[in-house]
Amino acid sequence: MMRRKAVLTTLVLVLLAVVLGACAQQQPQTQVVEKVVTQVVEKPVEVTKVVEKEVPVEVTKVVEVPAERIEVRLSGWTASPEEENLLRSLLYECSVQRPDILVKYEPIPSDYWAKIKTMIGSGTEPDFYYMDIFQFPFFAEEGVLQPLDEYMAEAGVSRDEFLDTLINAFTWNGKTYGIPKDFNTLALFYNKDLFDQAGLEYPTNDWTWEDLKAAAQTIKEKTGVAGFSVPADPGRFPIFVFQNGGKIMTDDFSDTLLDSPEVIEAAEFYTGARAEGWAIIPQDVGVGWQGEAFGKGDVAMVLEGGWMVPYLSAQFPDRNYGAVHPPAGPKGEGNLVFTVAYSISVNSKNPQAAFDAIACITSEENQLKVLESGFALPSRKALQDADYLKENEVARTIFTGAEFATPFMWGLQGEAVNNAMAQALERVYLEGMSVEGSFKQAAEEVRAALQE
Amino acid sequence: MTRVSKQTLQEWFAAYTFLFPVLLGWGIFVFLAMVMSFYFSFTTFNLLKPPQWLGIDNYIRVIRHPDFLRYAVPNTLKYVAVVVPIQTVLSLIFAFALDQKLRARDFFRTAFYLPSVTSSVVIGIIFVWLFAPQGVINQLLGLDINWLNNTKTSLPTIMVVNIWSTTGTLMLIFLAGLQDIPSELYEAAAIDGATRIQMFRYVTVPLLRPVIFFVVTLGIIGTFQVFDQIYIMTKGGPLKSTMTWVYLIYFWGWQEVRPDMGRASAAAFLLAVTIFVVTMIQRRFLEGSEA
Amino acid sequence: MAQATVARPVALGGEMPLWDRIKVPVFYALLIAWTLIAVLPYWLTVVYSFMPKTEIFAPPRLWPSPFTLENYRVVLTAFDEFPRWLLNSTLFAISATALRVFFAAMAGYAFARMRFPGRNLLFNLVLGSMMLPGMAMLVPQYWMAVKWFKFVDTIYGLTIVWVSSSFAFGVFMMTQFFKQVPRDLEEAAFIDGAGWFTTFFRVILPLARPALLALGILSFQGSWNEFMLSLILLQTPENFTLPLGLAMFRFQYYAIYSNVLAGSLFNSLPIMIIFFVFQRYFVEGITYTGLKGGA
Repeated sequence: MMRRKAVLTTLVLVLLAVVLGACAQQQPQTQVVEKVVTQVVEKPVEVTKVVEKEVPVEVTKVVEVPAERIEVRLSGWTASPEEENLLRSLLYECSVQRPDILVKYEPIPSDYWAKIKTMIGSGTEPDFYYMDIFQFPFFAEEGVLQPLDEYMAEAGVSRDEFLDTLINAFTWNGKTYGIPKDFNTLALFYNKDLFDQAGLEYPTNDWTWEDLKAAAQTIKEKTGVAGFSVPADPGRFPIFVFQNGGKIMTDDFSDTLLDSPEVIEAAEFYTGARAEGWAIIPQDVGVGWQGEAFGKGDVAMVLEGGWMVPYLSAQFPDRNYGAVHPPAGPKGEGNLVFTVAYSISVNSKNPQAAFDAIACITSEENQLKVLESGFALPSRKALQDADYLKENEVARTIFTGAEFATPFMWGLQGEAVNNAMAQALERVYLEGMSVEGSFKQAAEEVRAALQE
Repeated sequence: MTRVSKQTLQEWFAAYTFLFPVLLGWGIFVFLAMVMSFYFSFTTFNLLKPPQWLGIDNYIRVIRHPDFLRYAVPNTLKYVAVVVPIQTVLSLIFAFALDQKLRARDFFRTAFYLPSVTSSVVIGIIFVWLFAPQGVINQLLGLDINWLNNTKTSLPTIMVVNIWSTTGTLMLIFLAGLQDIPSELYEAAAIDGATRIQMFRYVTVPLLRPVIFFVVTLGIIGTFQVFDQIYIMTKGGPLKSTMTWVYLIYFWGWQEVRPDMGRASAAAFLLAVTIFVVTMIQRRFLEGSEA
Repeated sequence: MAQATVARPVALGGEMPLWDRIKVPVFYALLIAWTLIAVLPYWLTVVYSFMPKTEIFAPPRLWPSPFTLENYRVVLTAFDEFPRWLLNSTLFAISATALRVFFAAMAGYAFARMRFPGRNLLFNLVLGSMMLPGMAMLVPQYWMAVKWFKFVDTIYGLTIVWVSSSFAFGVFMMTQFFKQVPRDLEEAAFIDGAGWFTTFFRVILPLARPALLALGILSFQGSWNEFMLSLILLQTPENFTLPLGLAMFRFQYYAIYSNVLAGSLFNSLPIMIIFFVFQRYFVEGITYTGLKGGA
């Protein structure tokens, strides 16, 4: 199987080289016919049980290759070899659909933001690139991104086609600066075996903090395994704040609300879980990430995102688990959305070609492939009725979680806010400091950073 | 008179010819880069837009930042003070030992060098695993310490990892240095009735001075600039207990959503000056007037 | 044999018999102890890289069981560019090592032995440049490489920038080693009428072999593992080096450790082989016993 794939991939590369070679030779304006074979897409991920499905579909398509193709550069970080290959297959697909555009893919395997920012500083950035919501305000404020509304209107792409939370997140002063690529939200992953052992019903989407606490306590009593995990992680804790009606930052990000009563109450509940013995932090069981603790069976429930699915199927294929929406707090539901878009550089010489490439990669047809690969959730509303979502509980939970979700983004000093939040929790966990004192200190740290 | 000056001129010419390739490459990609970076340290520079002149403020902002004087500087100084002496002495002893005629010397040398070959990511993974609460170290010592998640033990743990991983490299340098000590000197010392320890103390160490100066300087630079292991193992935590000078530079210059390369550069120059001063003091001791 | 192990090839006169009796065992005990400390983590990497990824959290063991080559297969086949990465890394490491060792030796000799105006200033500047963290120079280095030299996305560009920015270490090291070499032999060469160049190539370079070798090993290792400059200068996957390519196995949210371990072992193998082969040339006394015969 693998060998076949390797051979096939080589074939694709050879053929692609032929195509590239052909265009490099400045063919006359006559019709040039070339073969393009789309790359095999692996589908290694099925929820709860692993079925390593490989579907080698060899498609030979006859494509007219224009004499001149517009080259646009694309950069993204590398999430995993499988996702790398998924993106490449989408790019091949788009090279068939839009043979006049050649997307040159330049992945950045590490320190993506440092490199992208350095490149922008010297005007060498790619035409379009991944834009994370956490970093977006800085790029928008500095005006290094191209507004996309006109291109969208011309191509007939409407904002309404995308999930509101996502498209709104990439809007700055009324203009759209990114086409959402995919997203993730948090879900309550639970270990079915531990729930069975404790004789408990599985969690539901209607759970509240009280249900969470009761179940976690029962699991701790009956099985000895910790019920829940409350890491000092700024990408997890804030949802308790939202569920308590609070916020991390003010709407214009000019001040922090980390010392507001809503945040402090949420933190009392969150850190109290460990103090009361029904939750742990991952370090208590000797790991750095709660996903690993969950995989090993050292904790019964964790709040994690869709990345858990490929991780668990690769590393802990025997783990029997499900996922529901995070439990609601006193003020209702709340969640975080982690989302990435394609943005076009304001310096791009071919913004139209870059936009056409984005439109192709994020088309409904191609987004469905993203969804079916199991790595990420597509940004298009139309796909909420896709069969894949109906069949996959975890994917559906994470997809619908976007409804109550707030983007993971704290403004221009976002990392300082993240650190302040993590350390506020650590002070409580490691030094036994009072929640109120610790979060007041965190708020002061954030304010000091904001004032600079 | 003319003869002397001709010779001198020849020497100058030869010197600059010998130096030319290095001066060209280093001059552009290091010296000029330093000059630009020095300029950055007086500007507001967020990477995206060209630097804007600011003045001395960045230096003041570095010194007044609570993380700098309260965490980064003391942690870094502790780190240097502990790691440099231990790794220098250990590697010198190892090099001396592995310079002897031993059985399986090739094997021992390669084994001792292995930690230097191991990638820092793998070192991170392995040591996190070894130092975990239920990990091998605790099982061996019969303890129950969460080494990397405890503000008291996190920095010492990183020190141990650093000593483990750099001793091999320094040993290699010492090994090369030991080759240059003529065996006649040891023979003469032996005839005078010196013990091996005395020989090490009175023959090896003094003759090795320039190399010792090199290794200690290297150690000082490397430990003052410690970053990799901290980035991989603790990210400066828990609670800033492993926050070091370069980690702070990284955070300001590269990691924040809106980078502050001006302040990061200022912190980098303050660090360079500190290292330079420490190195010069150390040079006085090790090289004496001969430097 | 065993008795002669610790001693240089010299009869030791009048030492303490007790030390004499215990020194060999003590010595070997210490060597073996540190060997264990040094090798064990590496060995565990080897063991776990040959185990299925689902066993990565199994309790420590000294032999891979169950055994699998799967991780290596994944690392070697996941990306089509793998052979290119290997080739790029080899080209880069070999050319960077050669350039750095040779030019650094020349400059080190000038600093150690020649008198010329600006010597102390230049030497202190070179030394001082090591004290500024590389992180602070990365942006200007990128600017110059991209704007002035168009070095972007090429292995030769990476080689030039890496060699240039790592000269300081090499020059400093060679200077210190040349200072240690006694002057007699050079003076003899000068009396015979040899110039600076002849002396350097005929007398000094052969004498400095251990130091050149050490710098060579360190340079090979440094360039083979180089990450930051390659990351910022290289763009297309075909032009990546091995460490950059292997970084693609570290994911955004988690890592499949087995693949990372297999990849890093694969990466460290060439350095280990090179070290094992070349360390034999560190044979004590080689320089002077050889020279004494000739003198």
